[in-house]
Amino acid sequence: MIYRVRHLTHYEYDAPVTLCYNLAYMLPRDTKYQKVLKSDLVIKPFSTTGKQRTDFYGNTVYYFTVEEPHKELSIEVISEIQIEDFKFATEHDLNLDFGTTCGEVLRTIQQSTDPEMLKAREFCLNSNMIKTAPALRDYALTSFNSSRPFLSAVRELTHRIFTDFTYDPDSTGIATPLAEVLRKKRGVCQDFAHLAIGCLRSLGFPARYISGYLETMPPPGKEKLVGSDASHAWFAVYSPGEGWFEFDPTNDNMPAEHHITTAWGRDYSDVSPLKGVFFDGGKSHKLKVAVDVNQVDRAAFQAHVQTLLQSQSQSQS
Amino acid sequence: MNNPETKLAEALSYPRSADGFDEAYGDKSELQNHWRYLLDGIQSLGANSINERQLKAERILRDDGATYRSASIKSRAWQLDPVPIILESEEWGRIESGLQERSEILDLLLKDLYGDREVIRHGVLPPELVYSNPGFLRQCQGIVTPGEHHLILSACDMVRASDGSLCVIGDRTQAPSGAGYALENRTVMSRVLPSLFRDSHVHRLSLFFQSLRLKLQSLASEITSDQPRVVILTPGSYNETYFEHTYLANYLGYPLVQGSDLQVKNGYLWMKSLGGLERVDVVLRRVDDYFCDPVELKSDSHLGVPGLLEVVRSGRVVMANPLGSGVIENPALMRYMPQISQHFLGREPRLPSVKSYWCGDPDDYEYVVDNLDKLVIKSCHGRTSRRSLFAAELDEKARENLLWRIKQTPLAFMAQEYIKPSSTPSWDGHQLCPRPAVLRSFSVASQSSYAILPGGLTRVGSTKDVLNVSNQVGAISKDTWILASEPEKQISLRDAQPWQSQVQSQSRASFPCRVVENLYWMGRYAERAEAGLRLLRTVFVQLNSTYQMPLQTQRTLLRSVTELTGTYPGFINATDDELKHPEDELLAVVIDEDKNGSIMSNLTALLNCTDQVREMLSADTQRVINDMRDELAVLPKVLDSAGLNSAPEEALDPLVTSLLALSGLWQESMVRGLGWRFMDMGRRVEKALQSARLLRSSLVPVLPEHEQFRVLESVLLSAETLITYRRRYQSGNELARGLELLLYDQTNPRSVFYQIKLLSQHISELPSANTGSGLSEEDRLLLEATTAIQLSRPEVLADTASKDGLRTELDQLLLRVQALLQSASSQISNKYFDHVKAHQQLVSNEWDEEL
Repeated sequence: MIYRVRHLTHYEYDAPVTLCYNLAYMLPRDTKYQKVLKSDLVIKPFSTTGKQRTDFYGNTVYYFTVEEPHKELSIEVISEIQIEDFKFATEHDLNLDFGTTCGEVLRTIQQSTDPEMLKAREFCLNSNMIKTAPALRDYALTSFNSSRPFLSAVRELTHRIFTDFTYDPDSTGIATPLAEVLRKKRGVCQDFAHLAIGCLRSLGFPARYISGYLETMPPPGKEKLVGSDASHAWFAVYSPGEGWFEFDPTNDNMPAEHHITTAWGRDYSDVSPLKGVFFDGGKSHKLKVAVDVNQVDRAAFQAHVQTLLQSQSQSQS
Repeated sequence: MNNPETKLAEALSYPRSADGFDEAYGDKSELQNHWRYLLDGIQSLGANSINERQLKAERILRDDGATYRSASIKSRAWQLDPVPIILESEEWGRIESGLQERSEILDLLLKDLYGDREVIRHGVLPPELVYSNPGFLRQCQGIVTPGEHHLILSACDMVRASDGSLCVIGDRTQAPSGAGYALENRTVMSRVLPSLFRDSHVHRLSLFFQSLRLKLQSLASEITSDQPRVVILTPGSYNETYFEHTYLANYLGYPLVQGSDLQVKNGYLWMKSLGGLERVDVVLRRVDDYFCDPVELKSDSHLGVPGLLEVVRSGRVVMANPLGSGVIENPALMRYMPQISQHFLGREPRLPSVKSYWCGDPDDYEYVVDNLDKLVIKSCHGRTSRRSLFAAELDEKARENLLWRIKQTPLAFMAQEYIKPSSTPSWDGHQLCPRPAVLRSFSVASQSSYAILPGGLTRVGSTKDVLNVSNQVGAISKDTWILASEPEKQISLRDAQPWQSQVQSQSRASFPCRVVENLYWMGRYAERAEAGLRLLRTVFVQLNSTYQMPLQTQRTLLRSVTELTGTYPGFINATDDELKHPEDELLAVVIDEDKNGSIMSNLTALLNCTDQVREMLSADTQRVINDMRDELAVLPKVLDSAGLNSAPEEALDPLVTSLLALSGLWQESMVRGLGWRFMDMGRRVEKALQSARLLRSSLVPVLPEHEQFRVLESVLLSAETLITYRRRYQSGNELARGLELLLYDQTNPRSVFYQIKLLSQHISELPSANTGSGLSEEDRLLLEATTAIQLSRPEVLADTASKDGLRTELDQLLLRVQALLQSASSQISNKYFDHVKAHQQLVSNEWDEEL
């Protein structure tokens, strides 16, 4: 499956900005399941310096400066990404009721000298925006016991977050403390991913944050609106010997071929799409973001919609 | 038997302390040979002489502006014990190679942590030790420092244990401080104990700084073939070791810059100087790495330079130490030093570290919790707190709190066995007594290895049994003498050849615009304070004279105090009763620091400017400034005790004298470079403005003839022109003659015209002055001001009065001149000074507050 993602970010300032320095995590990375075929980033006005590199976690990061006065700044990223066929199409392809148990995961992760596991231990630790806490631990605990298969427990946690929490774009800012999310039981994809990671780390499991995109479907019979997609966030856990597995608590599923990964890190702050500083520019600015995710292969896309509709009607019947 | 002579000799002979290891005795009961000469020397000097020399040392330190902690008025003078600590050459040789080896190990570790992290993959270090440490900057992964070493500078704190062996208790690899203080200590010691110092054959310190220069130079030559530029980056004058930054900048001959003096442009790092942007190749940083770049590191930091890290990454500037080096400071690493050394060198380190525990290790954690009272607890996250906690010293509540914090975040704590430091002879004002000592040594990368400062910064506790010996808790420093086994050739920094050419090349330039701007304001504040002081003196004299002044005259004089100093509302709308009792307001105009425009606030602003340009000021200037600081500190008390009724003007005299001394020094001993020119421009602007202001506030209201003369006399007196006036004019229109002297005169430095002329002259000599396309804006403004003055007539100004008793022509003219001067000044500042604006964050990151 090949996707084409267009991600447009547009800033309009009160007064001209004379100088800005920025860091963008908007160019998708390669992963085990996806290959970036093409990825272009266009900045207006013309950027003085622009440099792409790979960061500590293997993500693609783009640094740029604009050193002439500008009242508007736009960053448009167009990428084509191939999701490998061997990434399961739906989570039903996986049987989560077998495999490493929670107890084994905890034991192995602390005792193994395997470099991969030593590396994964970084993701058990507190990070800028996610701190382990007894409340998180308590919330998670019902789904975990040492003999239960780890992935099945995580899947249940994902499901519980989906059911217990309300998706509410108005409820949170960028850095809502987890305690508040837990108390208000509201948030957005980012908060749910943070929450799940916080729960898992509070129990001693390695979990990481993934930012990316999700292909959304228009209501049956309607044209898809331009710019209606959004960037998305979910998480992954590490199971010793089995590798990393992704879960999406906002949609109560395991990301399959409709999730496109941009970057991962310990939490949002490692991979925030755009950050930086600027000089002048007045007191405030307006921000517009538009995202479009489309399948490149039209025919395959149609067929896919059909199967989805069928499976929906089946599950409803 | 009790004769004072014997008693004195006893006091001066240093007794062996009852317990522990003593530097002078070792573990024997006899003094060690290498201490004899010094202790005999001290004994023969006698207590009085030692105290005198200590006073002299204090004076020199004060004159050099040596302080620790903030550079504000309340900053603390640097403490130096007149008795040095001595190590003999052979032992030092062993220590030196141990230190070299330690720096090598830390360097390898630094490279590895930001490279392949073999130490983690091979199980040498637990991953959590590195990954949980906020000093580990993932953004610095893969950054390479040119040359053999990544770690350029490091420092190491050591104590001698009771068995006589030296043991490391801490490493500094971020931006180690102290080497400059060690150098200053040495300079002072060689002056207060010259013969003892000379005859002791002490290893010199200058070679170390030469190595540092050579290293920075070679780093620069790796990235540029041009004349390289090295700068020292300081967090600013509020930093606790700012003195050292200015001291090193002067000693090494590099510009001292703050983050806002630098800018990233076109992919390079530049210094904003008066002549434009100048490329920077190497930054010797005294700002912690995490604060160095708000784009990639701490986003709300204003101490760094946006975009710096990317310039470093692309190899266009070298940081010393490299960004990220703070991770090596984590004291928990000491727990693993033997393994780290094994991993890199295949052997245990020669210089042992104190027995350490890391609470992230389950066994260590158990031990620490069970043995808390025996241990020194340190945070692994240096950024939040570097202070060591001695659990045994804590009260029950603090102890519980510490335990709770360790349990909450075990990864963030480590513990060390407490080593009772060896004692060393120290002077307490009466006698030599044993004090616990900690030595900080310094190393700098040099060719294939590290050069070690022969000596270092020794600190001793303020009492015999103090546990924590640190400058933050009042320790006293000592010079550290390494005795040379053979006489050393004398080399001072100036004699060293290789960078001679660089010294010259850097002198063409230059300093950041911030320095120039501060010089300009230094000039302005000095004049502003002086004008205020002069008028206040005159007013005090008039108020206290036997002659009873009519209320109207008093009103005019007091109002001019308010107008001149700008301390509104002051006396502007004062009631008659308030005018009769002006004492409180006048006192506030002098000493109330929070009152904008008061003498105190102007002088404080002046002192703040001098802090900013400290590296530009001569030793004499520094001395006058120190005097002024002291006078300022006691002024409120002096004025309070004297009261305003008994010649308060005399209390102001010392300040006027200091200000005169300053302007004399600036006039006589400052090189006529750009710095001087801007400083002098500041003075001219302010002088002209103050004169105009004074004339307007005092002479515009029409008074009865006799009273008018009285006010004029006060004005002339405070402008030091009364004698000239009397000599020149015997009779005639008094006011018109007065105005001639104070407004028009081309020879009287107190006249407005004279000052504006000087200012214009300065402007015409600035490098970016006009290139033939007519007058610049500031020229135009000043020309308009001088022309307006020249076209007016003194008699008309003096005699044209409105019905409500105001000299309207004079009023209009002076108002206009003031406005023109203000515009000229802002024109100058817009044109030449960099207006540092604070940057904004694209997205405000609340999360990194917590780091």
